[in-house]
Amino acid sequence: MLADKHKSEIKAILKKYPAKEKRSAVMPLLFLAQREYGHITPAALVEVAELLELDPTEVGSLIGFYTLLHDEAAGKYRIQICTDLPCALRGAEELAKRLCANLGIRLGGTMTNGLITVEEVMCLAGCDKAPTLQVQDADGIHYHENQTLGSAMELIAELMEKGSDG
Amino acid sequence: MSQALVSLTIDGVEVTVPVGTKIVDAAKQAGIEIPVFCYHPKLESVGMCRQCLVEIGRPKIDRSTRKIVRDKNGDPVIEFGPKLETSCTTPVGEGWVVLVNSERAIEGRRQVIELILTSHPLDCPICDKGGECPLQNMTMAHGPGKSRFLYEDKMHLAKHVPLGDLIFLDRERCIQCARCIRFQTEIVDDPVIAFSERGRKLEIVTLSEPGFASYFSGNTTDICPVGALTTADFRFGARPWELNATASICPHCAVGCNTMLNTRREARSQGRVVIKRVMPRQNEAVNEIWLCDKGRFAHHFASSEERLARPVIKLKRRGRLTATTWENAVKFVVEGLQAAHGAVLGIAGGRASNEDLYALHRLMDGLGGRAVLHDQMAGGEFVQQAGVGPGTNLADLGSGDCILVVASDLHEEAPIWWLRVKQAAERGAKLIVANARPTRLDAHATHILRYDYGVAAHMILGMLHEINHQKELDQYASAETKKVAKVVSKANNVVVFYGSEGLDYAASHDLAQNCATLLAASGHVGRANNGLVAVWTHSNTQGAWDMGVHPEPGGLAAALKGQKAAYVVAADPAGDEPLLTSLLEQVDFLIVQGLFLTETALAADVVLPAQSFVERDGTYTNGMRRVQRFFPAIAPNEGMRADWEILSAVAAAMGIDSARPSAAAVMQDIAAKNRDYSEVNYPALSRNASQWPHVGGKDIYFGGTAHPNHQGLGVQLTPRVERQKDISFDWAAPRKIAHKPRYLMVPITKLYDRGTTVVQSQVLGPRLEILRLYVNPEDAERLGMIDEGEVEVQWDGRKQRLRSVIDEHVPSGAVLVPRSLGVPLATAVDVKIRPIAL
Repeated sequence: MLADKHKSEIKAILKKYPAKEKRSAVMPLLFLAQREYGHITPAALVEVAELLELDPTEVGSLIGFYTLLHDEAAGKYRIQICTDLPCALRGAEELAKRLCANLGIRLGGTMTNGLITVEEVMCLAGCDKAPTLQVQDADGIHYHENQTLGSAMELIAELMEKGSDG
Repeated sequence: MSQALVSLTIDGVEVTVPVGTKIVDAAKQAGIEIPVFCYHPKLESVGMCRQCLVEIGRPKIDRSTRKIVRDKNGDPVIEFGPKLETSCTTPVGEGWVVLVNSERAIEGRRQVIELILTSHPLDCPICDKGGECPLQNMTMAHGPGKSRFLYEDKMHLAKHVPLGDLIFLDRERCIQCARCIRFQTEIVDDPVIAFSERGRKLEIVTLSEPGFASYFSGNTTDICPVGALTTADFRFGARPWELNATASICPHCAVGCNTMLNTRREARSQGRVVIKRVMPRQNEAVNEIWLCDKGRFAHHFASSEERLARPVIKLKRRGRLTATTWENAVKFVVEGLQAAHGAVLGIAGGRASNEDLYALHRLMDGLGGRAVLHDQMAGGEFVQQAGVGPGTNLADLGSGDCILVVASDLHEEAPIWWLRVKQAAERGAKLIVANARPTRLDAHATHILRYDYGVAAHMILGMLHEINHQKELDQYASAETKKVAKVVSKANNVVVFYGSEGLDYAASHDLAQNCATLLAASGHVGRANNGLVAVWTHSNTQGAWDMGVHPEPGGLAAALKGQKAAYVVAADPAGDEPLLTSLLEQVDFLIVQGLFLTETALAADVVLPAQSFVERDGTYTNGMRRVQRFFPAIAPNEGMRADWEILSAVAAAMGIDSARPSAAAVMQDIAAKNRDYSEVNYPALSRNASQWPHVGGKDIYFGGTAHPNHQGLGVQLTPRVERQKDISFDWAAPRKIAHKPRYLMVPITKLYDRGTTVVQSQVLGPRLEILRLYVNPEDAERLGMIDEGEVEVQWDGRKQRLRSVIDEHVPSGAVLVPRSLGVPLATAVDVKIRPIAL
């Protein structure tokens, strides 16, 4: 239960919004749930709904709407490669394909060690430094621009080391 | 109150409408059709589907002078925007020129249809909506014949997704208009369906437990502009064009929703005509265009295989029921009644029509006996005196008005009233909800009053004290009653809904009387949108009171004392209260008229098969005293007769009265005898008026598939206080409530109980309530009970084992048990509770 483990943090989040507009706290609470479990588990969804007196469907709808909220488990680090036009013109699709091949996974898949997932995403607003990718983990989102297969592999090696430590 | 008006031109037609009217509605009022998908006149505009695109020209304003630029003829120069605009989100403006059927607008809408169809399955030939589908109609009227989109890009999605037990979703057919989601959120406040994902991946989902289980879920299938949402009842059941439509009135509660029964003769029902679905029929003063799921899905009892089909008699010697002819049966009844020499009691249920109840009353009167109603709730006479006036419409209540709901859980007892009261509160009406426990309406209340079960009437006296300042009422007043009394006395209009939760005959009588007195004292009787409404359990309980058939203080047990014969119509007293069985058996001659072989019928000497409301005509009077007519939709089995017809035949055979030829003729008798009904006759009940919004018909996309009302809006009776100025109201001192050492077991009403009319539904099965005893956590701890454990309950020398559920909403000292689920409990009783050790 989130409420037991993060009592004070939840209280602090709720305090930011008027008591009558509790529902406004839904995004920070979902971030909290995702940080805790890596994705928003069905139980966490129901808990967030109960905390905010919302229907679980309303909360689920938000998870569906926002691409950075996940309702399915994946790796600790989500490598999200932009394959929209400018990045694609600079070889992002090829990068994604070769990166996956190197890691032995398909696009959207997760390595067996449970650390790395590679996903394809829409524009990350880094077109001038294409190809761009971002890493989503418990700490948030980190940009990595002007990527090549080499730099991406280096990044993944770093992440794997970091991930297996903690 | 005059509203500012705006004039504009739509396709050359001058239209004048109130400020704020959306262009789409203004056009509709002028008879110009603007196609829509996402727009619905009962919902907020969202402009999602873009189907209502029009060209809008606005008078050119000179920027330096802020004046309208005029041409050489002095006419305003009209400037058209570069793009088409959505007419559903744009309120009208003075002097605007709107082009609906210009080349650009038509082309724009054609392209929207083309876009919507890119991923639509076009499975019209097997789609339930085919034939009454806005998208199908619109494609024919406005769509292109060909598509430029690639077939390979079509989305292939799940086609049979159960969103709940009653509603199925076809993901391919959904055009993402969100009407269903907006209905559930805005109108019902039960957001159990929502969109997930975005763009072409957008889909309707539910993550609620147990899914899409709203009491109003069926309405989403009416307003769905495609076949994405279908009901478990009608799904793949028939094509709309095969169906006949007969106007009816829902028989399930006191709201009296107007319905349309869609029937079809079909091979799969052995060539019989059967009801395929129940649809709402528009009556903006009663149910608007909505229907609750009980009204929609609990119709199967009327055409059940278990119906009685022939009269049966029991010769005491043999003790077996034997089928006979109507002629013999009537003769047998006449002999039995004659032998009783006036010691005869008529017992009726609140499901009988006015005509039946009048005929029963007339027969009993002629025999020197009397007719009583099998019910626990009192107060009908106060509704006759101080009921809401003609012209009442809950939709007119809003800011400055007040609604008081006392001793009733409207969401369970009368869902459509709950919906409309909630909406009045959203429009700014003060809503006072008074009950011993929290109910769903509390969420919309401006004031919540709690009292201990049984003392509802006392609390109303506390409010009355604030208005008439009588010393004797001091004892009932509190800071709370003072506060809400001010709200009531200040309000322009006040409607009071009273129910009978936790109240017996005497207590509900006191409550009704005190509510009427409160309304009269604060000046809220005798006009539209003011007065008392009874939340009766049955569709025609008010009609029974009006026909002179009402419960008696001592109940049926007392009324049956000394009776030699009893005539039961549309009631099952023995089934509801097993203790009554022996009393009914002690009567020398018992006649039972009804649909099924009930417990009471099993004890009878004669059982006469009655026609159900779908097989005959008649009238019900709803809780707001609106008399409404229902029509025969299905030809009855030859062996069945209408209740009034049987009673009239018996009366004729006994020389009491001549036989009446029709229900309409009985209504003429009623009108002649009963001053309240003097204006009521079948032609008057069939009178109509134009209603907003338009539904059904050619413009099905606009309001949905609810049926327009061509069969009559009914007649709302005038409360006596409006006619007789000498009626005065006085309060009744309620009985003192003794301190209870034990627990009070209170029967509460749940929408989906297991009564005869509900349990036979072919689709509501999984939604039916399960018998449980609801106990407060503290009481449970004191009693040593566990959640989902078993307890033994003892009362009046009876014992029953029940499964218990711990529920914080139950008031301390009370235990709740839903009605009609197996505990024969008419009113609250003291009980002893003992947990059963495992």
